[in-house]
Amino acid sequence: MTLVLFFATQSDVFLTSRNLNNLLIQSTVTGIIALGLVFVLLVGEIDLSVAAISGVASVLMAMLVVDSELPIPLAIAVGVAAGVAIGAVSGRWITLLGVPSFVVTLGVGLVLNGVQLIILPNTGRYNLLNTGVEKLASTNVSGFTAWLLVMAGIALFALARATSTRARFRAGLPASMAGGVVVPVAVVAALLIATLMFLENLRGLPMPVILFISLLGVMSYISSETRFGLYLYAIGNNAEAARRAGIKVERIKIMAFAIAGGMAAFGGILSASRILGVSVSSGGGVGGGALLLESIAAAVIGGVSLFGGRGHVVGALFGALIIATVSNGLNLMGVANEARLIVTGLLLVIAVSIDRGIERIAAPGR
Amino acid sequence: MGADLQGRRRRANLQGQHVGFNKKSFCRRLFQQGAGFSIIDRMSLPILSLKGIYKSFGGVKALVDVSLDLVPGEVVALVGDNGAGKSTLVKIMAGVLRPDQGKYFFEGSESVVHGPAEASAMGVQTVYQDLALCNNLDAVQNLFLGREVTGPWWNGFRISRAECEKRAKGVLKRMRLDSISLNRHVGAMSGGQRQNIAIARSILWEPKVVLLDEPTAALSHAAAEQVGILVRELAGHGMAVLVISHDIHNFVLENSDRIEVLRLGRNQASFSSSEATGEQVVNSMVGGQKSRNLSG
Repeated sequence: MTLVLFFATQSDVFLTSRNLNNLLIQSTVTGIIALGLVFVLLVGEIDLSVAAISGVASVLMAMLVVDSELPIPLAIAVGVAAGVAIGAVSGRWITLLGVPSFVVTLGVGLVLNGVQLIILPNTGRYNLLNTGVEKLASTNVSGFTAWLLVMAGIALFALARATSTRARFRAGLPASMAGGVVVPVAVVAALLIATLMFLENLRGLPMPVILFISLLGVMSYISSETRFGLYLYAIGNNAEAARRAGIKVERIKIMAFAIAGGMAAFGGILSASRILGVSVSSGGGVGGGALLLESIAAAVIGGVSLFGGRGHVVGALFGALIIATVSNGLNLMGVANEARLIVTGLLLVIAVSIDRGIERIAAPGR
Repeated sequence: MGADLQGRRRRANLQGQHVGFNKKSFCRRLFQQGAGFSIIDRMSLPILSLKGIYKSFGGVKALVDVSLDLVPGEVVALVGDNGAGKSTLVKIMAGVLRPDQGKYFFEGSESVVHGPAEASAMGVQTVYQDLALCNNLDAVQNLFLGREVTGPWWNGFRISRAECEKRAKGVLKRMRLDSISLNRHVGAMSGGQRQNIAIARSILWEPKVVLLDEPTAALSHAAAEQVGILVRELAGHGMAVLVISHDIHNFVLENSDRIEVLRLGRNQASFSSSEATGEQVVNSMVGGQKSRNLSG
């Protein structure tokens, strides 16, 4: 909030709907990768290969579309499946041998960087303009369809809230219609409708934003309503307790890595569609570069603990927005690239420090 | 209360006859029982019975010919000095460790327990000293961890939070623990409350045997008293309860029916809690001559 106000005073372009539209789209790739990463962070692990996965998956998809002329949906599915598989293999390796995820995924990331260079043709890039892939990022949904989508989203959320509140009433437990249904639904509805009305002025809802918010909804549901989601939190806090409770800790961890891999792959494909091609620098270049750091930073700034067991998937959205805001705002102010890196870096350090502080207050002496 | 305890003790001391006869322990009990022996009111078979258990770790003999019986409705306190083999014995009962030698009877028939999951499926629940709670989850989530109630598939694989909470409420009420707030994170609770939640979790699925490893170790006197009440409550509901504790004077004598002393991996003595004094128990724990004579 403070950031938005600050940049609004510094640049008169910042608050225009065109710029905010850009800002939202900028944050989607980081946000989607961070969204998957949250699952890995919740179980107390880390995946440093997400950027590399996004690169390899997008190059793989491009190769299938350009060279093999596969239908686009199939190529995208293969890319995402590759991401899921890579994540699952890393997860299996980590849980099987008890090797720190930090090291394994760092290595896997480098391996994937190598693979990416092998897949790429001698020209070093695949052009995706006029292949149809670019439509994934450039499509805008407006008018009636956009309203229908937003209403459907609100209706689903309201349904979820209403059924759980009804179950509480039926079980004779304390429950309130206002706190359990009306207020949360009103907040979500207001946010979605505000976004829609704002972007409607321009060209409608950009597809990446729709995809990001839908994925956010699905992942939020999985993490907060299902057994799998609960087990992520349990393992992140006390893996031994989870194991004794009969939870298959290894399997849950592997699934978390697989989700992170799949989301990273999808993020990479979306990015390829947006910049109309893949190249050596897809996936942040060798080592993951800024893309990797910004994804981790987005999750952490969004309140997801690096120590496991604390945070929410919605944090990925807030984190990605904050990072995009900083980078976009500083850009508009004409600040040089080096200053932008410094500010983003400091932001990350401060966020992790706050995280550690919360941890100390919540559980002193641990 | 006193008469009741004695009755339980008698039942407990006689099962040697029914499930595998162990001459040594039976004779010891006969001695200890003395004149009261002939008055047999009711006989209750032990639900869990260990006979002649041996267990070594490398060259260290942790348990040597140890026998122990647990009877429904009775609280047995397992006491002993550090390294006496208490935890090893509990781990064998819980299925975590397999004995090198000896027999494990459950409900009268010999069984081989292959793991903790098998023991808990049989109805043997263990509350370990570290409680194994997840601090970032609330009481209900901890109680049901790994065994959440889920609705049908068309409910979207959701955990039926309301159903879980309702059942948790029922159990806590039955155990007179309704003061525990169900929606608070366990990490924010006091040691006593955490201990109670760990115990409540073990009894959620109505086990037949509950094993408690040092439930009062880190608790204040008042909190330990609460745990004592809870332990008696469990026995009152017909469960066989085994408690490891070092707190002989305040906890063991007050809340158990029978005290089994282990020393250097062997059965050292067995006392009726209503008759024994703290001094006798402590003496036998450290191997004092006096108590050895007393217990045969």
